[in-house]
Amino acid sequence: MFSSSIVIRVENVTQRFRVIQERPDTLRELFSKLLRHQSSFHDFEAVKNASFEIPQGQTVGIIGRNGSGKSTLLKLIAGVYQPTAGRVEVKGSIAPLIELGAGFHHELTGRENILLNGLLMGYSKRDMREREQSIIDFADIGDFIDSPVKQYSSGMYARLAFAVATEVDPQILVVDEILGVGDMGFREKCFDRIRNFREAGKTILIVTHAMADVAKHCERAILIDHGSIIADGLSQEVIATYTNLMAPEVVGAH
Amino acid sequence: MTELIRDSYRYRELIWALALKELKVRYKRSVLGFMWALLNPAFMMLVLTLVFSTIMRFAIPHYAIFLLSVLLPWTFFAQALSYGAEAIVGNGDLIKKVAVPKLVFPMAALVSNVINLLLSLIPLALLVPIMRHPFYWTWLYLPVPMLALAIFTLGAIFFFAAANVFYRDVSHILQVVLSAWFYVTPIIYPLDAIPAKYQWIFKLNPIIYVINGFRLSVYYGQLPKAPSILASFVCAFISLLIGFALFKKYQNSFVFYV
Repeated sequence: MFSSSIVIRVENVTQRFRVIQERPDTLRELFSKLLRHQSSFHDFEAVKNASFEIPQGQTVGIIGRNGSGKSTLLKLIAGVYQPTAGRVEVKGSIAPLIELGAGFHHELTGRENILLNGLLMGYSKRDMREREQSIIDFADIGDFIDSPVKQYSSGMYARLAFAVATEVDPQILVVDEILGVGDMGFREKCFDRIRNFREAGKTILIVTHAMADVAKHCERAILIDHGSIIADGLSQEVIATYTNLMAPEVVGAH
Repeated sequence: MTELIRDSYRYRELIWALALKELKVRYKRSVLGFMWALLNPAFMMLVLTLVFSTIMRFAIPHYAIFLLSVLLPWTFFAQALSYGAEAIVGNGDLIKKVAVPKLVFPMAALVSNVINLLLSLIPLALLVPIMRHPFYWTWLYLPVPMLALAIFTLGAIFFFAAANVFYRDVSHILQVVLSAWFYVTPIIYPLDAIPAKYQWIFKLNPIIYVINGFRLSVYYGQLPKAPSILASFVCAFISLLIGFALFKKYQNSFVFYV
């Protein structure tokens, strides 16, 4: 199934969404639509026939403009979506930071959320108990750890979420546009940790608009536009392609 | 069905944590906190007992216990189903961001309400001696109807949770169905109150057998007959089979509609 070192394989994957202008949310709307034989949706392919493989230990940046399909691709890899067509195979545990603190409940305290979030990612209670202290240390948010997370600042939220996701020691780390939230000190801490992950031979996927981060941390980049992969290779080259792609729009805006 | 058992076991800690979260959030910021899980049924019992022993007197002795022995499991059923119908829609944010088996949410809704049911039995057990009603050994039989009721309820939760994702009317329809269902089920009246020639209609009600088990063991101190026990489990498993089949069929599309 896998050649020894490939940990993520995306094979001819298409993700189709039914975009509904006016979805019949209630039965009355459904009946009246049926009576009038209207269809009020069209299909939209967020990811079109994408294929790539990522070997273990690679750090890959996924870049592209807003709405190009980057997040859909990550969600497919994380298993949130089942692809409409094609196959996604992932080997090893994956920590999907699709959105910061996705598993957090705002009424629960930071400490309670550490456990809940870990369980949601498929870890056991015992795993989380063992790691609780190091997560709290890394997040470094003081006494707030025992307050409900609805009282957190967005930076504190980000710190705790990043700490949970990385402290569980996943084999694959997926980071979606989250490093922009923390302050500089914390950003450094995060990138330190990402470096440690790289050195430990783990696979990292980063979605970001910060090309400097891609250039600095990723050896490879994948450029996606309108759902299709249009460039895949050394990050410097792919960034150049992306810059050229965006150039007309950037000029036009001024 | 193996998927249900396997995933429920694998994610048992998550289900438990979600159920506790549910209860915690429900009682958070109230001074008495978790005590409300006991106080709510206790106050309800107090009111019912007063009403039925002074104002409205029935020919049924110890009517409050007659009523509560089945009203508590019914309340569990109605509440678990109302919460459970929102299990997927209400956790939409999570489902869109985390890859987790969807069935943990209906399971958690069931578990949190089972905890509530167990807690509500405590004030009932206190009321029995207070009203000088005999405390029958058949109380020990209660886990059996509870199991059947839990399975029956779980199937219904799966069904309504899935349907509610696609049409939000479902949760409103459910409330109408539940209130009608309450009156056609022998809860406030005994089945004997129905003329014999119409009783067969009432016996088509799938929840009547399990309800009967509660009343017999708590109020009458008897065990249900074997066919009745069998019927309660047959209804329970039919509910689970239908409910889970529907849930399983559509679970991969939930993420697009929540």
